Amino acid sequence: MADVVTVGVNLDAFSHAINGIQALRSSVSRVFESLKDGMKNRETLEGREKQFISEFQDNLQAVNRDLTELERLSGLVGRPSESHPLHNSGLLSLDPVQDKTPLYSQLLQAYKWSNKLQYHAGLASSLLNQQSLKRSANQMGASAKRRPKVQPSTLVLPLQYVDDVISRIGRMFPDMTIELFRPNGTSAVLLQVCVFSAVLQNNLFVCSHQLDIWTKSQYQVFQKVTDHATTALLHYQLPQMPDVVVRSFMTWLRSYIKLFQSSCQRCGRFLQDGLPPTWRDFRTLEAFHDTCRM
Amino acid sequence: MGVTCVCQVPVADGKSVQQTVDILHKKLEQLGAVKQGSFCVDCETYQSTGNAGGQSSKLLYVMHNSEFPLSCLALFEGGPCLTADANFDVLMVKLKSHFQNAKGHKVECRGSRYRYCDFLIKVGTVAMSSSVRGISVEVEYCPCVVPGDCWNLMKEFMQSFLGSNVPELPTVFAAKPEGLFAPADCVDTMTQYLELFNKLRKLQITGSSVR
Repeated sequence: MADVVTVGVNLDAFSHAINGIQALRSSVSRVFESLKDGMKNRETLEGREKQFISEFQDNLQAVNRDLTELERLSGLVGRPSESHPLHNSGLLSLDPVQDKTPLYSQLLQAYKWSNKLQYHAGLASSLLNQQSLKRSANQMGASAKRRPKVQPSTLVLPLQYVDDVISRIGRMFPDMTIELFRPNGTSAVLLQVCVFSAVLQNNLFVCSHQLDIWTKSQYQVFQKVTDHATTALLHYQLPQMPDVVVRSFMTWLRSYIKLFQSSCQRCGRFLQDGLPPTWRDFRTLEAFHDTCRM
Repeated sequence: MGVTCVCQVPVADGKSVQQTVDILHKKLEQLGAVKQGSFCVDCETYQSTGNAGGQSSKLLYVMHNSEFPLSCLALFEGGPCLTADANFDVLMVKLKSHFQNAKGHKVECRGSRYRYCDFLIKVGTVAMSSSVRGISVEVEYCPCVVPGDCWNLMKEFMQSFLGSNVPELPTVFAAKPEGLFAPADCVDTMTQYLELFNKLRKLQITGSSVR
């Protein structure tokens, strides 16, 4: 702590302030203790009440005193100066009009805030994981030991890592070709799964020799499959391990290779209202009609 | 374009052709199908003249389908097939000296077109020179192009309104070199219609014909 806070901080006043905090804490706890203990034994009821009230007032005044003392001391402590800017962002602090555009201090605040947010999110996720809401198909047990103490940011992944993950998944499923498009340079990645034996041929219109992937399909079957795929995208979520998420989603999507051949696991028929079983269970990958799924 | 199955439906006992067709329409409407206009498939026969070596002259069939209004299909039975645009008819007129039109042999199949979810169902009466020969039903499952994948599904659907008259898997799919898992196209549909027309042509009974 002493390394970060160098000049501009009165260390003496700092230790006094810490003592002041301790004093304040003890006086506050004394207030609550006396409330908890209640009235002490005296001869008359009036005597008891008077004694209680005077004790309570003394305690509150002690709290007040400690609080003002602490405020005085905290004024003496001073602020850590911002005169050692952090690398490139320090160039923002060279702007002389500090009052109108306090860019650098705002930047520091935003950075501190996002770090805290990440820390709290990590805490929350570890608490939630204890509830074993296993939403992803793959087990996390083995890899939990390898997880580092400091959570890496999963929003910024190196280019090579993304390529490796996608090619690994592509090798897992030989009858599914996955092509990677990067329309916005390296930062945004569009993943396209194209030609999935002969099943999906009809839901991509070939329009002037270019695949049109955004127009809604004219067939109800594929409209339903698109809806289910959207649901699956929301279902398979795991912030710490994005490759597990992508792999689970691809496995789920691949189960559609038998879209027209499978019968519903529940009713045993192929058609319900003219549609084949379009729902694939997220865990067992069994086929169900949309109206038959549990 | 999906997987198509063309089959013949026998006329119900004690009923006329039109009545049987009406029964089928009613069953389809009960299922929830919506009528979407009409369709027509026709087939003209041409005989090739001036053959060399004395071999029997092959018959050329030129077919049209209202589902593909701008196209025309020319095929030899069991042989090569050509898909051309509608001007092919004019070309055939120009080739009068090589191919003679057997005018009495024109077969037409007309009827209503129904749509149910992703299925297209066409119920039509087959007529040859204005005498009704039989009833044809064509069921097309549009989203899928591979017959092997969706045959069971189509069979289940046909059972729901044809009852016991469900056909077997059309031989045109099984006869392909790649088998059942080659993509289907309009040539397969028209080949099935041709087989049906030839079968009905051989039946010399007219009016309320029984299979």
